[in-house]
Amino acid sequence: MCAALNGSFRQAALAGPASLLFSTFMADDKKSLALGLRRRDPEVLDALIEQYQYRLFRYLVYITGNRERAEDFFQETWIRVLERGHQYDGKSKFEAWLFSIARHLVIDWQRQKKAQSLDALTNPEEGAPMEFADDDPSPLHLALARESEETVQASLEKLPAIYREVLLLRFQEELGLVEIATVLSAPLSTVKSRLYRGLGDLRTLLAGEPA
Amino acid sequence: MSQELHARAEQLITQERIEGISTADQLWLQQHLAECESCSARAGATAQAIRSLRGLSVVLPTALSSRTQFRVRLRAQQLRGEPRWRLVWAACGMSWAFGAATAPYVWRGLEWAGHRTGVPNFIWELGFGLWWALPAAVVAVILLMQNAGRSSETDWKRQEN
Repeated sequence: MCAALNGSFRQAALAGPASLLFSTFMADDKKSLALGLRRRDPEVLDALIEQYQYRLFRYLVYITGNRERAEDFFQETWIRVLERGHQYDGKSKFEAWLFSIARHLVIDWQRQKKAQSLDALTNPEEGAPMEFADDDPSPLHLALARESEETVQASLEKLPAIYREVLLLRFQEELGLVEIATVLSAPLSTVKSRLYRGLGDLRTLLAGEPA
Repeated sequence: MSQELHARAEQLITQERIEGISTADQLWLQQHLAECESCSARAGATAQAIRSLRGLSVVLPTALSSRTQFRVRLRAQQLRGEPRWRLVWAACGMSWAFGAATAPYVWRGLEWAGHRTGVPNFIWELGFGLWWALPAAVVAVILLMQNAGRSSETDWKRQEN
């Protein structure tokens, strides 16, 4: 299955910018993926876990605000992907479906804690401060980048979770508006209004003003 | 410059980043930004906010993927066992339904055979009881075997940890 996927990638790459062929390939790719998930193919799942580990973990860290909890949700999400693989239709983007599963797990957990929505995650109440990747070679640049990241992190934490979430999905995960609406199970208009509001508030917070 | 123009520029700055704008709007915005310092600063702040978001990173926990893959494979093994269970329960259900439907005939058949062979009544009645209880006995044996399997699996997992 994975070899077949790689083969398709190679063919698409050789074809150059032929968008029609590429979109056909993408459709085939999603169908292969859906088939693999329906069969609970361990090779497919292993490859998906490898491929999406960073993006899913980052998303979970930012919506839960806690690394350890994000780790638990990460594992639970993949178990859920295994159990409900047959529900992936192969038409939508896999990552949108994946994030939607992760989000529902977080909301379910939050509901068990008697809260109504992700809003309650705005102020993470516990856990170690988030760790950032330190891949910059220059110590000065590293210090500046860390400071900047900490500022952004602090600003993000001040944003209500519903705004933080859409901003992350749009600008970190590069999902389209329709895909975000799928993840959130919300109307497109809601997604747009949250993005406008969230981006405005983040800009204000980064400028050092209260949102 | 009127407030309306600034408001339009402000709207387009955000809209461009979120859902895109038409070429005509892009041209208008570029012109406006070239002339208006405050809107230009706002556009810069918006771009900076998005760059900051994109620049955020997290450190992955050690062996997160391999630990997850292990758990997923374990769960997959459990799930592979479940459809067979459904089959067992379906077979038992069918067996009971068939047993209930044929019980009067089996009773009469055993009664006839008992009289023909001259065995005491309680023997063929016991035979009927055994025939009736057979599906339950089969399920009980399967359950016992399954539980034995589960406990040995748990021991194995404990050793793994």
